[in-house]
Amino acid sequence: MMFLASTIHDAPQVYVDVFIAILRWIAPILSLVLFVRCVYPLLTFKREPEIWARLCLANGKKYALTHWENVIGKSKSSDVVLDRRGVSRSHAVLTRYDDGSWSITDADSEGGVFVNGIRVSFRALEPEDIITIGGADMVLQPISGKQEQKLAKMRTGNSSVFANFSNLILLTVFQLLCAVAFLLVDSGETAQSVLLGFGGISVCQWLLMLFYLCIKRTSFEVETIAFFLCTMGMCVIATVTPDEAFKQLIAMVIGVVLFLLVGWSLRDLQRAKVFRYVAGVAGICFLLITLLFGQEYYGAKNWLVLGSFSLQPSELTKVCFVYVGASAMDRIMTKRNLISFIVYSVALCGCLALMNDFGTALIFFCAFLVIAYMRSGSIGTITLACTSLGFAGVVALKIAPHAMRRFQSYRHIWEDPLDAGYQQTRALMCMASGGILGVGAGMGQMKSIFAADSDVAVATLTEEWGLIMLAIVILCVVALGIFALRSAAVGRSSFYTIGSCTAASVLLVQAILNALGTVDVLPLTGVTFPFLSNGGSSMIGAWGLLAFIKAADTRQNASFAIRLGKFGGEADE
Amino acid sequence: MNRIAGRAWITILFVLILLGGFIFFLFEYATSAGEWVVFSGSPHVYNAGNINCGTVIDSEGYVLLDMEGERDYSSDKFLRMSTVHWLGDRYGYVDAPALSSYAEQIAGFDMLNGVYNYGDQAGVVKLTLRASVQKAALTALGGRKGTVAVYNYKTGELLCSVSTPAFDPDNPPDITNDPDGIYEGMYLNRFTQSVYTPGSIFKIVTLAAALESVPDIETQKFTCSGSYQFGVDRITCEAVHGEQDIKTAFSNSCNCAFAQIALQLGKETLQKYVAQFGITQPVVFDGITTAGGSYDINDAHDVNVAWSAIGQYNDQVNPAAFLSFVGAIANGGEGNAMYFVDEISVGGSLTYEAQTKGNTRIMSSATAEKVAEYMSHNVSVRYGAENFPGLTVCAKTGTAEVGGEKKSNAMFAGFVQDDAYPYAFIVCMEDTGYGKNCIPVISAVLEACKKGVNGALN
Repeated sequence: MMFLASTIHDAPQVYVDVFIAILRWIAPILSLVLFVRCVYPLLTFKREPEIWARLCLANGKKYALTHWENVIGKSKSSDVVLDRRGVSRSHAVLTRYDDGSWSITDADSEGGVFVNGIRVSFRALEPEDIITIGGADMVLQPISGKQEQKLAKMRTGNSSVFANFSNLILLTVFQLLCAVAFLLVDSGETAQSVLLGFGGISVCQWLLMLFYLCIKRTSFEVETIAFFLCTMGMCVIATVTPDEAFKQLIAMVIGVVLFLLVGWSLRDLQRAKVFRYVAGVAGICFLLITLLFGQEYYGAKNWLVLGSFSLQPSELTKVCFVYVGASAMDRIMTKRNLISFIVYSVALCGCLALMNDFGTALIFFCAFLVIAYMRSGSIGTITLACTSLGFAGVVALKIAPHAMRRFQSYRHIWEDPLDAGYQQTRALMCMASGGILGVGAGMGQMKSIFAADSDVAVATLTEEWGLIMLAIVILCVVALGIFALRSAAVGRSSFYTIGSCTAASVLLVQAILNALGTVDVLPLTGVTFPFLSNGGSSMIGAWGLLAFIKAADTRQNASFAIRLGKFGGEADE
Repeated sequence: MNRIAGRAWITILFVLILLGGFIFFLFEYATSAGEWVVFSGSPHVYNAGNINCGTVIDSEGYVLLDMEGERDYSSDKFLRMSTVHWLGDRYGYVDAPALSSYAEQIAGFDMLNGVYNYGDQAGVVKLTLRASVQKAALTALGGRKGTVAVYNYKTGELLCSVSTPAFDPDNPPDITNDPDGIYEGMYLNRFTQSVYTPGSIFKIVTLAAALESVPDIETQKFTCSGSYQFGVDRITCEAVHGEQDIKTAFSNSCNCAFAQIALQLGKETLQKYVAQFGITQPVVFDGITTAGGSYDINDAHDVNVAWSAIGQYNDQVNPAAFLSFVGAIANGGEGNAMYFVDEISVGGSLTYEAQTKGNTRIMSSATAEKVAEYMSHNVSVRYGAENFPGLTVCAKTGTAEVGGEKKSNAMFAGFVQDDAYPYAFIVCMEDTGYGKNCIPVISAVLEACKKGVNGALN
């Protein structure tokens, strides 16, 4: 392998020039094809309502239940609208489980919920149980096993195995071309790192696909997008800090493992509810430990150094925070106030403020906003939260001079290009120098700028691979966000829907702060770009968040985080 | 679930912020990328204040400088010295605005490819300077401080421009240890950045103004008795020139006659023509704006108005501006704009090509012809045409008194009136004495110019 690498490296200059000249065109075309092939099924899958049971009233009226969690109430936004006296706006919640059984929960209604004449607050339903709400009797008729099987067949399948397989081949070809490009232009000492970096990602993606095939899951679009972003991240590392390629690869492998673990924990809602508490404790512990034993770098005390190993625990806390924020419908309806969640969020943001890590605090705030709104539906809560952020922001700027300095140079970077605006003016100069197609792998000048592989990584990417690659990378994150939104319509539990929308929002906010901060559309905050920026903890965290998006993917045989179920295929656990 | 699904739109909020911000950036990129690439300090284009890509060649293809990385100058020391004020040095003490202003074209920037060029070839900048003439001019100046410049008045090409004291960018002198002030002002390009008291070369201005505005000026007689009284003040000549017409007065460089002409013209007319001839206006070409001169006689008494018409008093001219003026006379009263960068090509295709641009007419062609005739007559009767073998030279010397213990500045401005050699020139030598001391210098430089494209570089 190394012989091959050294042969490539010793190629005559004319081969290098020709290869780079061709790659400048091939790379964006290949990426664009890959992007369209991965994103198209995510944005076009049909979201037909699926009937899981019928609620039959004594007067013969029938309501189709199209979710696994259904709110019964007078409110128009209820899943089953019962407009009669004695029914509260949100009266009760009917919940379906993996095994096809159902339960009913009283959502703190005035009139109460009766099952076979006995008032209950929660009860697992048996066939033929008579439910009484607001004086109306009704019976739940779940669909039969046969019907469920039919449903699974009708459900939009994920794109074919072949399509996903060819996507991965495309990505592998792309990675091969990137590796050859860096071997050609680099000094030779970095050959091993480059080979290991790109090769490692390739091996990892194929192993994951193999694992999916073993457990009869065939959808790989979301993962392919993530691996593509990791590949572009490796391109940035190969040019700026090739020595760190291996470290980043290891972080990616750990990230994929976390992705699988979080996904596994989410497949069973009951299990997920238990893990929620574990995640809650872990999340705050990560921050407290950092606060006590952490080290300060560049103004923020957000690093934990263990020997030669250093990590940013706040990145992992993001995953925990999404876990804590997600909530199933019965809980949302019975425990309507958000006080405990708000207290938890304030505690986390307090820790981050003490660590001087305002960029991360902003990400948590946005995640909080999404969770609070999705759980309460109250615009008032959101307005209140935003107002408090405004005040907190003013206080933060007063007490943190380095943050203030960034705000002062915001939109004025060209007036101070040698000091406060240095990083961003150089980033823009280099991005402009790259044009639409880039100056070619390894040919950039961004490498001499501070944080060229992390805080301003998109500039390095744009310089060498072109504006078009930046657009593709940004659209990848956008696609994940739109996919999470589309999945919400057919979400089975609010736990998954809240989880996936929050996770997607966190990835989006990171992309917003990083990319728009680099180009001075927003102030530079030093936040990483998901999957792309060099940084182990960030990489692991991004994969953890991706598990939530994957868990909301209800397409048949799509997600390992969703059980195939008794009748939907072979059970696999 | 309907409720929760309905609230998922909040995710779109972030999608919209990201896309909106990115589109805003794309708009900024589309409108400003060209400026960002060439903004001072741009890593692909600059290094220590000077441009960091491309090669500079002279008009005959001789490589003067490879600007990439460490900056490789020509192997010829005298060539390095004679061009340093145009090419800049390694440390940014001397900048090269004429090159920097074409950074975008040299880097070969376009929106699609950025500054990428196949095989990392950056631009080739072809200057109008000719290496052999530069060296000849540096040698001819012989260690004196000053400047020599020659330009083609028919096209605007600047063939030669040397400023001294020059230094070798490959071996810069220790200026902290310079007791005799040999290197004083060595970072200055005197052709573009300095102003000089013009002395008698300014008589060309007064002559042209008189020819334009006084109909019978050619038939008038002026008497010189060695001095001309203005009350208690007086203007003096070095000799008694007796009675003479304006043509003779010009070739005699008679201060007394020109004092009388100045009185006839008056302040306003003089000021009007100085402005019309562009004598004090900065010259703008190739990203360079030269120093502006001054002609301030608003509060001057008659004697000082007279001195100003002879190129003394407060008069200050920039060599480039005065060269443009004599060039316009040579070209029939309507000059061509000076330029220094001839063409720029990247990977074989032209990204810039200079064009001859006519300036506005500053005097009638009849006046220009007459002034040229007087200047030519001046050379033949005063300096001797044999100083310029094979050339019809029209010129005027100047001996500009600068006060203090220093000798006068020697000045010489004029042009060659031959179709084959359409060259206008100016020589300024500080602390040198009489203007005629410039003649051997320009004679050597014009000789080098004449050798043309086959001129050997030695």
